[in-house]
Amino acid sequence: MSREPLFRRKTAISYKTREKTVLRGYNISELAEKGYSFCAALFVLFQGRIPTEAEEKMLEYEMGEFLEHSMSPSAASAVAVISGRPYLPAAIAASVMTFGGAHGPGAAHGYMMNKYIERALKEGKSIDEMAKICVDEYLDAGRPVMGMGQPQHTDGDPRAEPTHIKQEELKVGGAYLKFQRAVEKYFYARRKAEGRKYVAVNMIGAGNTALADLGFSPNAAWCVGTLTRGYSCAAHALYTMKKGRAWAASKSEPMVQMLDLSMIKYIGPEEREVPPQEQRQEYAKRQLEEGEYKKWVI
Amino acid sequence: MGDIKNRAKKKKLPGNLYDKRLRYNYETREYGTIPPDTSREQFRWVSEVAYKNVHRIVARGYDTTELVEAGYGFADMLFIDFQARIPLIEEVKMLNYILILGLEDGLSSTAAMARIAAKSNVFLTQGAGASILAFGHAYGAYSAFGNMMDKYYSLVENKSKSIEEAAELLAEENMGEPHLGVSNLMLKDPVAKCIFTRAEKLGVSRKYIPFMKKVVVAAQKMSEEPVELDLLGAIGSAMMDLGFTPGATWSIMAITRAYAAGAHWIEEIEREGYVKLGETLTPREDYDGPPERTVPSLEQRLKAAKPYKSETLEEWKQKRDEMKKLYGSGHTIEEEIEDARKIGSSKKSDKKEK
Repeated sequence: MSREPLFRRKTAISYKTREKTVLRGYNISELAEKGYSFCAALFVLFQGRIPTEAEEKMLEYEMGEFLEHSMSPSAASAVAVISGRPYLPAAIAASVMTFGGAHGPGAAHGYMMNKYIERALKEGKSIDEMAKICVDEYLDAGRPVMGMGQPQHTDGDPRAEPTHIKQEELKVGGAYLKFQRAVEKYFYARRKAEGRKYVAVNMIGAGNTALADLGFSPNAAWCVGTLTRGYSCAAHALYTMKKGRAWAASKSEPMVQMLDLSMIKYIGPEEREVPPQEQRQEYAKRQLEEGEYKKWVI
Repeated sequence: MGDIKNRAKKKKLPGNLYDKRLRYNYETREYGTIPPDTSREQFRWVSEVAYKNVHRIVARGYDTTELVEAGYGFADMLFIDFQARIPLIEEVKMLNYILILGLEDGLSSTAAMARIAAKSNVFLTQGAGASILAFGHAYGAYSAFGNMMDKYYSLVENKSKSIEEAAELLAEENMGEPHLGVSNLMLKDPVAKCIFTRAEKLGVSRKYIPFMKKVVVAAQKMSEEPVELDLLGAIGSAMMDLGFTPGATWSIMAITRAYAAGAHWIEEIEREGYVKLGETLTPREDYDGPPERTVPSLEQRLKAAKPYKSETLEEWKQKRDEMKKLYGSGHTIEEEIEDARKIGSSKKSDKKEK
């Protein structure tokens, strides 16, 4: 058995010997023995520091409430993947990998906040003024404002406002919360002035703001958020694996299954005959010339 | 397009589609999709774990916002989601202890997966997901470990063996397996044993930790080299004593490790940067495959190329043995991938999972 490194790298994160594992300078065993929580350890991992009690509490709150969200794209991925009965980690990985530019775009929201707060500094504007600029720039460009709106919780995500309030209660709200609150204020005002319906802050707008004020970089915050959700997706995958039907297409189940043939609705090209090889070249040339295929290109 | 229908007879079908061995007439097959099945309840996402509506998210019956407002935290949520119960305070302390120890493992395969993904300039979530994929039945073999423990401990529970006998049988039948939980990995690092001490101190050592202690003793007697409880055995036993199933333990520990893999993803980009297609070279001295040779012309191929198919068993064996000499062909790997269609079936007959 070789215990040589898989590959060599300088790293500022950790080292591991036969005697101990050291994370950002702290013996990981000592962190556990001294009673720190896993949430506290995440501060050590991503920020190289022990958090204050209030910060640790805020992260506990955030991770506790973010962990389960029933059926979202990530949970649906986990359920769909496990229907093929691969090993469990494949379903969990798929759920985490589902997070992107639309579902839980934590890093994107963090980068947006950083960009505008930095602009406020450079342009000599207040956070409040810059939040209005942010909202106007996004809406003028026809872009959705990051952190606002959730397709399922149409009256506002039940976790969002309580998260803001908790941040204030624990006194861990900083520049990011000020910015986010101002974004919400100007966003609501502009939509109202335009006669458009109310769209509330979502959990990226609330939770990611808290993570930013706790010192997590956009990607570190995204990592914390998406992996926390990964646990519940694992629970959904496990439930499906143990109590659901593999393949999700059985006709003997009392409920129509996710992949039952009747669930397919086809809206593509009309059925057409396969051209024989001797006609293929002419057929293909005609398709290219007519260009009708282009409306189906994806 | 639209629902199922028949169409006018088409021209002659291509290829083998009139072969008499085909199970039905390929010329008269219907076109169109299957109409909605109204004889059964329509598809819905069925879950025992959680639901949400416009104003509420409920996990195992508890409103999640009310939970965190009431002071429950992240570790509590893991018990709620996976076990549908509020944990004891001691259990939460133990879980936090375990999660910290499971967080970082240096530049191991999980970190390597995340770093390699990072080099291609992908989202962090892809790197974190890749690291989770590194958990298998060797590295982080919590599922295999847990199922092994359950299998042998059931002998104690059904009173067919004493705890010592079951532990000895387990050690005998699993010695050298990567999921044994006893190895030479932790001879100098006391952390694995500290997990058991902690669990005992918190009063959450129930049946798996005492059983694993017996397994360690049995394995030490049988092994020719020094062996000791390792991190897999310690965390696996402690998690199962907290009530987590093998699958839940596997999931939780893989995700826990992925947080640190995320940090490795970040550091790889910050310190090493991206890599382009074709950039990475493989030194010739590392190559030990077939010697360099001329590619035959398409005309020469008729003579040069030999089919792999075998007419006799001897020929089959000979060709397979020949292929076994070629690393990367896969012919040396023997694995049994179970037909898992019945796992979870309402007509359960086989609940095996590694």
